Amino acid sequence: MTTTATVTQESGDARRASAHATDEARELAGSHILCEALVREGVELLYGYPGGAIMPFYDALPAYPRLHHVLVRHEQAAAHAADGYARATGKVGVCVATSGPGATNLVTGLATAYMDSTPVVAITGQVGRPFIGRDAFQETDVLGLTLPITKHNFLVRHVEELADVVHEAFQLARSGRPGPVLVDVPKDVQFAKTVYRPAASVRSIELYRATRVPQPAPEAIQQAARLIAQARRPVIMSGHGIILSNAYAELRALAEKTNIPVITTLLGLSAFPVDHPLFLGMPGMHGPAFVNRAIGVTDLIIGVGLRFDDRVTGKVSEFAPQAQIIHIDIDPSELNKVKPAVVPILADAKAALAALVEAVEPGNHQGWLSELRQWEAEEQERARRLSRPVPYPTPTDILDAIYEVTDGEATVVSDVGQHQMWTARFYKWTRPNSHITSGGLGTMGFALPAAMGVKMGRPEATVWVVAGDGGFQMNIQELATLRDEGVEIKVAIMNNGYLGMVRQWQEFFHQRNYSETPISSPDYVKLAEAYGLTGMRVERREDVQAAVQQAMQTPGTVIIDFAIEAEANVYPMVPPGAAITDMIIERE
Amino acid sequence: MGSDMTEQAIASARAGQADAPQGSARLYTLALLVDDRQGAVDRVVNVLRRRRANMRTLVVGPSEEAGVARVTVVVDDAEVGVEHLSEQLRKIVDVRQVLLFPAGRAIERELALVKVNCTAANRSEIIELGQHFGAQAVDLAPETLTLQVTGKGEQVEQLLERLQPYGIRELARSGCLAIARDE
Ligand SMILES: Cc1ncc(C[n+]2csc(CCOP(=O)(O)OP(=O)(O)O)c2C)c(N)n1
Ligand SMILES: [Mg+2]
Repeated sequence: MTTTATVTQESGDARRASAHATDEARELAGSHILCEALVREGVELLYGYPGGAIMPFYDALPAYPRLHHVLVRHEQAAAHAADGYARATGKVGVCVATSGPGATNLVTGLATAYMDSTPVVAITGQVGRPFIGRDAFQETDVLGLTLPITKHNFLVRHVEELADVVHEAFQLARSGRPGPVLVDVPKDVQFAKTVYRPAASVRSIELYRATRVPQPAPEAIQQAARLIAQARRPVIMSGHGIILSNAYAELRALAEKTNIPVITTLLGLSAFPVDHPLFLGMPGMHGPAFVNRAIGVTDLIIGVGLRFDDRVTGKVSEFAPQAQIIHIDIDPSELNKVKPAVVPILADAKAALAALVEAVEPGNHQGWLSELRQWEAEEQERARRLSRPVPYPTPTDILDAIYEVTDGEATVVSDVGQHQMWTARFYKWTRPNSHITSGGLGTMGFALPAAMGVKMGRPEATVWVVAGDGGFQMNIQELATLRDEGVEIKVAIMNNGYLGMVRQWQEFFHQRNYSETPISSPDYVKLAEAYGLTGMRVERREDVQAAVQQAMQTPGTVIIDFAIEAEANVYPMVPPGAAITDMIIERE
Repeated sequence: MGSDMTEQAIASARAGQADAPQGSARLYTLALLVDDRQGAVDRVVNVLRRRRANMRTLVVGPSEEAGVARVTVVVDDAEVGVEHLSEQLRKIVDVRQVLLFPAGRAIERELALVKVNCTAANRSEIIELGQHFGAQAVDLAPETLTLQVTGKGEQVEQLLERLQPYGIRELARSGCLAIARDE
């Protein structure tokens, strides 16, 4: 992935076109303006796939060596990779596709980014303007299709507005509550020429509206501080907002100053170190029982950057029945959406937490904390009693090995299913933003392409994928992209021969009717080999550590196929629609 | 709009909204100022549909500012639901402003064109009835008569009720427009 341009004498055009060269106004085709605008936005990486309606853009692309394009094997993967890149770096991820099927293939990836509020810009080619609305070959109403799954989308009407639209798209994607933005560019707009003025400004009203980030209201902060001072069993619940606003230090400072324990949602994991004495765990459907029990009795929830999703709250009317809620969020539509907040604070998490840290008095909740730790110890003791000696690798063996072998330095990207919950629960999250997963949409097939984006955004990081045998096969084609790009990630497949999470629901709620959940896998060792990568299979518990070690020592992408217990379950589990304190626990 | 929603779905939608007591749905009028750009109205309608607002009427037209359209929509929902809805609408990039009027708080008017059956014998009776409601006869034909009426929704309803016995052939209603009352 080299970004330094080597511009030869022959490609003088390219040099003129390159944004570093000049700020002069000059006549350019839309396709070049698109590239110029991307360069000006600081883009270095694009994930995409060409096709008829986006060909002028691909024709211009080689003239911009700063724009490193990654040819994925499916557009869905382009969107997930851009999303992974964005989650890992905080920068806007970019994906590109052609009209029609190219654009529809992006949809799952955009919906995933939308649900988890990650900044992505998607550029799609569209049929030429004269053909729009005429059911032309590969014409799809991309604007209409992506309306509900993007923060905003644009159809570029003429080449004169193209640069502005691109800059506006980036601005919108990263401002406020981030999200995906799509720019649909008709083919004839890509060909059309106009005078390009690099320094021209973007329409100011839109920018103003998009970037208004309210400061936390001082009265609200004071009121919150008073509630915190009075609370006897308070908890902090923090979500993805901490990671999006880089508020790790502020969160920690608040917890430590007030001595209040911290619960993190699935997407909030890794925002607070799990080995910190104030860390409790993940709430909701697969959270530890003692965490849900704590929510059942708490008298004050300080909710920061979370949206009280139904997987967190369970039955809303029975969620935290004794609690008053302070809710900090940057998106006003999240406040009072699910649970009414006594003190709603509309602000960026970082700013609000910083103000709160100033406003609160030091607190002491040793009694409450030791009660919680007592419950936790009982739960762990019970788990120890239930654990049986097994010959095959267990999820915790695998996760512990990854943590130990990488000295806790790894970024772990999980897919969707049982393995995702085990990873969330049992990995030792000690580094900020080291946990990446599709939380809101729960998109199987996310992990492999997203991990590619993570690794390319953080080349120095060690990136591990934890996937199920089902989800891994959903974007398995990206092994070819990883190989081509020389991107090195390590993959642990927790292979149970089932669509495990669905099988678990069938076991609990459908009388073990395992309808269409057994699933076969290819020979992953041979598969890896076929892609020019390395594969291993581990069937015995005692081989786990060595395999992980070997994967780390082997250059390039390595896949380890761990044969885990076929019918293990994720415990505890809150049945859908039940109160979170009504958990199914493992039978003794 | 929203007619495909079953009663049960509506009830559970409301149950998911904080503090919205069941069966307490009321009418609200929302006036939105939106940039007159491609897709802007689509986005508004889409959010209303997505957030399960039960739309009674929807009117799109120009506003006092060039390039800015005014969208007036009447929805029924319990209060917290409507406030959440307005916040969702405010997030649309094209939306500049959202005004939320609880029923009766704003000046609300609707226009209706009603084509009624008539005979030579009852024509003037119908015209007179219309005048009582401030309606004008805008078209006279041997067998029909078209009245134009403007007023609050209830006024329009009342006139329609009175016209019912004559036989309403065709009815076109504009939907509600609203503007804030100055104190
Ligand atoms: C694209 C997509 N299709 C279907 C589902 C429903 N689903 C959720 S978890 C799951 C099973 C995943 O199986 P596997 O990848 O093997 O992981 P495991 O649960 O066995 O760990 C399925 C089918 C989904 N989340 N995403
Ligand atoms: Mg599986």
